[in-house]
Amino acid sequence: MIFSGATRGQFAAIARLRWCIFINSLRTLRGRLEMVSKVFFTFGFSVMGIGGAISLGVVSYIFVTKTNSEWLAALLWVIFVSWQLFPVLATTFTEAFDSTSLLRFPLTYSSYFIIRLAYGALDPGTLIGFLWLCGICVGVVVAKPLLGLWAAPVLLVFALLNLLLSRVVFAWLERWLARRRTREIMGFIFFLFIISFQFIGPMMQRFWPESHQASQDTVAVASRFLPVERALPPGLAASAIAHAVDGKPSEAVGAGALLCVYPLAFFWLLNLRLRAQYHGENLGEAVAARAAVAGKPVVRPGLSVPGFSNAISAIVEKEFRYLLRSGPMLFIFVMPVVVLLIFRVTPGRSGHSLLSHTADLAFPIGAAYSLLILTNLVFNSFGGDAVGVQAYFAVPVRFRDVLIAKNLAQASIIGVEMLMLFVAVCLLFEPPTFSITLATLAGMLFALLVSLTVGNILSVYSPRKIDLGSMGRQKPPTSTQFAALGCQFVIFALGAVTLLMARYFNTIWVAAVFFLVLAAIALAVYLAFLPRTEKMAMDRREIIIAELSKT
Amino acid sequence: MDPAVSTEFLTRRFGAFVAVDNVNLQVAPGQFFGFLGPNGAGKSTTIKMLTGLLAPTSGRIRILGLELESHPVEVKRQIGVVPEGMGLFGRLTGAEYLNFIGRMYGLDRTTTARRAAELLEFMQLVDQPKTLITDYSHGMQKKLALAAAVIHGPRILFLDEPFEGVDAIASGTLKTMLQRMIARGATIFLTSHVLEIVERLCSHLAIIHQGRLVAQGSLEELRAGVEAEAAAGPAAGSSSSASAAPPGEKLTLEQIFLRIVGGTRAAQELSWLG
Repeated sequence: MIFSGATRGQFAAIARLRWCIFINSLRTLRGRLEMVSKVFFTFGFSVMGIGGAISLGVVSYIFVTKTNSEWLAALLWVIFVSWQLFPVLATTFTEAFDSTSLLRFPLTYSSYFIIRLAYGALDPGTLIGFLWLCGICVGVVVAKPLLGLWAAPVLLVFALLNLLLSRVVFAWLERWLARRRTREIMGFIFFLFIISFQFIGPMMQRFWPESHQASQDTVAVASRFLPVERALPPGLAASAIAHAVDGKPSEAVGAGALLCVYPLAFFWLLNLRLRAQYHGENLGEAVAARAAVAGKPVVRPGLSVPGFSNAISAIVEKEFRYLLRSGPMLFIFVMPVVVLLIFRVTPGRSGHSLLSHTADLAFPIGAAYSLLILTNLVFNSFGGDAVGVQAYFAVPVRFRDVLIAKNLAQASIIGVEMLMLFVAVCLLFEPPTFSITLATLAGMLFALLVSLTVGNILSVYSPRKIDLGSMGRQKPPTSTQFAALGCQFVIFALGAVTLLMARYFNTIWVAAVFFLVLAAIALAVYLAFLPRTEKMAMDRREIIIAELSKT
Repeated sequence: MDPAVSTEFLTRRFGAFVAVDNVNLQVAPGQFFGFLGPNGAGKSTTIKMLTGLLAPTSGRIRILGLELESHPVEVKRQIGVVPEGMGLFGRLTGAEYLNFIGRMYGLDRTTTARRAAELLEFMQLVDQPKTLITDYSHGMQKKLALAAAVIHGPRILFLDEPFEGVDAIASGTLKTMLQRMIARGATIFLTSHVLEIVERLCSHLAIIHQGRLVAQGSLEELRAGVEAEAAAGPAAGSSSSASAAPPGEKLTLEQIFLRIVGGTRAAQELSWLG
């Protein structure tokens, strides 16, 4: 036996722990709903994994039979990049695994290493990557059965190096992301990355070489990088298989041997990192000593919202401070304008930018997009407050006022967003007509009031703690996401009916009037639901506090 | 004069589990009241109910003569609370948080700002003006939570484990503030596992065990009760020397506590610990 009885016992205990956590999560209705949604996600991943494996298998078969086996490198690059990118995104977007929780137990270093590797082997990116490699292997075997004896170990080494590299990246990210400030900086870098990514398509369309000569020049420049590509893992793995197909065993073995250097190097790097962790490296937050500030502190009085009580003003101010300190929230905030910018730089069929002939649509489209992403904020209003939510129940303020203050802040954010969008539309396209502007604003008012009503109920009924400082940790519970989706579907359906009516009567004013009527009804419903939501919050205060105080 | 805190048959159930079982408490105004009990005895549940953070299953709560259920806002205006977990907003600075809380308690903006500055200075939190609360140390967070609980000058202060995880310096600051409040006529209701501190600070005590109130009174009254019981015969499971005072010396609060809740049994049974 490789492992002692005690080590096997530890592995079994950890597996049992994971199982218990899973089973215990099913005790609540929300846990069961989460489980159902996870089944859907797993189904999606399975389709992606199996579908990808079949496609890659077919393409590999074609490459090998048509003696284009060096093109296998393209497929292996796809797998390599997705395998490495998926965990990186997942790590940045989720709470880092706290290895110190394992280190307090008498684990040997080898057990610790294996457990960390096993955690990686079970993530969706790894499983999908492995499935896709299996697809390629099957494709190669079907094309040339004997080649399978060589391709299988090559692809296995490729899988191993991917697994080790993803763990190396994860281990280093874990070190950087252990601190809040670094997490937020990384989140901001990803924010820039994602925004830049949006512009790739439009820029390619605009600047892609159209002449044959220009294309040839581009290919010539790209071909200079081929030797580098062939020295990297996907290129080496593809070369090892391609040389075997071409009947060059010595070259194939040489490429295979070079490929083996990578997992060894990654193993060494991973070992370096994990050993440091094993020996008690402190990854946690540490309050740095700061120089004392001389003199009495000066605390400026808070802001006042005209027409509202001091308490409501205080909550609105707090909400805005939270917004300004949250990179992801600011990201969401600027995205509608970025989308308009993308429309502006994307060339249409006639060579002009998209929407250039229908600039009137730019404002409603921007508004609809902002509605889609911004209203997500209202469906889990208390998530960012976390343990601070206790304050709302401890202070002498009616919970209804807390809801109104939160809604006021959210409505102000949407209002500022609309203003930004209007200015952006005027600058990037042309000022929308008065009737379009009014219809859009009336539609937004209706949508906002519906979202606030539903959002208040969901925020109280199914709250979840979120981290406003880190990308991707703003998601409400899956059940809330479904309910929010349903709400948005109803809003968009009513919006579509209204626009159809406007088209039927051939005037957009009909839409403006109808949206205003809908907004008046939505306001009445909002006001009617406030006391009920307050009562629900008071009845569920213990659950709300417990849920948002989870560490 | 109405008692500061009074409960009648206060009960809280979580499903079949009874966390607090028919508790009848009386705390007079101006008392420094210690509410003790082993882990899971029902202390935090009781404090949550007394401060409106948790609804009782049955029973009545009166704070300064007002029924909590029918006058929640009026009651909350008179009390301050440092709840379990402290209830801080992590992404505000200390000054911003105090500014927020003061206004939630109905203070005007100028008064809130002035008191916030004074409290930050008193709590020695002035050298971290731009640091977010989430980056504060545990002790700093405790001091800030206490500052927030007193910013409106409450007549009753409820503290759930205020000295847990707090260093000696911060603990000294907290004690000074609490003693000043008592000197000015406020009532303090505190739970703590640090029995030495409770013994030194509190004038009156209550002990809750398995959800039931098993003792209530001044330290002297509790001591007399335990000694009288000891004279009648040792309590079941409490015969350890840990809960017996040397001849001629008074029983400490720890000894009284152990005599009442019988907490030494489990340790005696674990013979394999060596």
